Amino acid sequence: MNCQRFEELVSELARGQIMDADLQRDALDHERECRECMLRLNAEEHLTRGLHALKLEMESVSAPMALESHLVEAFRTRNVVHPIVPRRTMARYWLTAVAALLLIVFGVVAARWRHEQKQPRQVEAAVPSKQYEKQAVAYNRTPDQPKPERPAPERRPKRERRLNGLVAKTPSRNANRDESQISNHVVKEIATDFVALSYLNPENIQEGGQIVRVELPRSAMASFGFPVNMDRYNEKVKADVLLGVDGVAHAIRFVKEY
Amino acid sequence: MTAAFRPFRMKANNDQNDGELLRLMLAGDEDALTLLYRRRQAAIYRFALQMSGSPSVAEDVTQEVFLFLMRQGHVFDAARGSLPSFLLGVARNYVLRRLRGEQLLVTLADDYEDEVASEQTRTEPGLLEELTRAETIEAVRKAILSLPERYREVVVLCELQELSYVETAEILGCAIGTVRSRLHRARSLLLTKLRPAEQADQTTEVTVKSARCFA
Ligand SMILES: [Zn+2]
Repeated sequence: MNCQRFEELVSELARGQIMDADLQRDALDHERECRECMLRLNAEEHLTRGLHALKLEMESVSAPMALESHLVEAFRTRNVVHPIVPRRTMARYWLTAVAALLLIVFGVVAARWRHEQKQPRQVEAAVPSKQYEKQAVAYNRTPDQPKPERPAPERRPKRERRLNGLVAKTPSRNANRDESQISNHVVKEIATDFVALSYLNPENIQEGGQIVRVELPRSAMASFGFPVNMDRYNEKVKADVLLGVDGVAHAIRFVKEY
Repeated sequence: MTAAFRPFRMKANNDQNDGELLRLMLAGDEDALTLLYRRRQAAIYRFALQMSGSPSVAEDVTQEVFLFLMRQGHVFDAARGSLPSFLLGVARNYVLRRLRGEQLLVTLADDYEDEVASEQTRTEPGLLEELTRAETIEAVRKAILSLPERYREVVVLCELQELSYVETAEILGCAIGTVRSRLHRARSLLLTKLRPAEQADQTTEVTVKSARCFA
């Protein structure tokens, strides 16, 4: 072994990290014969001892006691408690499946939505559930952009834009509709929080985006930490997917009609 | 009329592993949070303290890590590493954000640090040999805090947290070879900083520049 090779190994030698017995013996043989390398190893060993002393010194250090109670308090005041996930290992699988599904659905829905934009709307106050399931609702957070023109007497339902909290949504009233007819179509919903599909906070989407309503197997809910009634495991469940302007799905929430 | 579906709830206890406690915590189990916190908080707090040198930053980072876990704990994937590694990775992000945002530490420019460390083969007796234990600890602590971030974090993780190269690579999101070479470099820098002042003065006059370590 030469000095250059010894230099490459000296840190691990001083840390006792060299597993290869032959290599360690060669290094130590060289160190016995070479004063420079012996002093080099001595310095590294002193450093190892100094680092170890600091490590021992800090072993008893931990966060202030008050922090635990602050966190427990924060935990209690959370808006939504996510129930048990049956199997955590399925999460990645479902996340991938959902993301792939959403990309396909988004393409179809976006084209359809643009087509619908060009036609006058007949019914908006209460959306029949079958149409509603696949409707893409655009929103944009920049307030100065002009809204699309609509026929005067019609009003679109206010879409709930909050991303946090448990949100109950009811469509707005429409005086032009017969009450009994409307009552058949009014959709009341309750939705979960948006759950991030990536590390990105949904509220960071500054440039607008879309919420797309999709249907997923009920079992998909388990992937996001929601309970699934095993009797209805194979049934469909509605979900809103928050898409960025880049078409990437950023968050999802599950919706229940009642 | 059918009864409402109620998920089966297992009570959190200290025999459960991190993954089980996380699952219960995300299901709303407060005891699981407490157990997980008590099990993992110290390593996170110490890591943040060793990286920043500031107890208040360490406390804030520890809090942020567990708040993140409450909000986004479902993104943890056991197939990609252990929960302690995941938590230290999150802690690292918060620490670096704080350090870069607040300029908490006055560190020397990386180029300068590398240049000085490039004069390898320190054969002179070091400062550590002449210090008491308390002085040694303080000198090493200060020397670590003065390292550039990319070297400081490998020293903290490999030497002070005693994590393996594999675990450190998981946390830093880099190759194992990168960890190894950075640690070697970091130790050379520490030895330079820990040499007696008169020796350091002599060597800083010599400007031998070697290839930068980009590992
Ligand atoms: Zn030699």
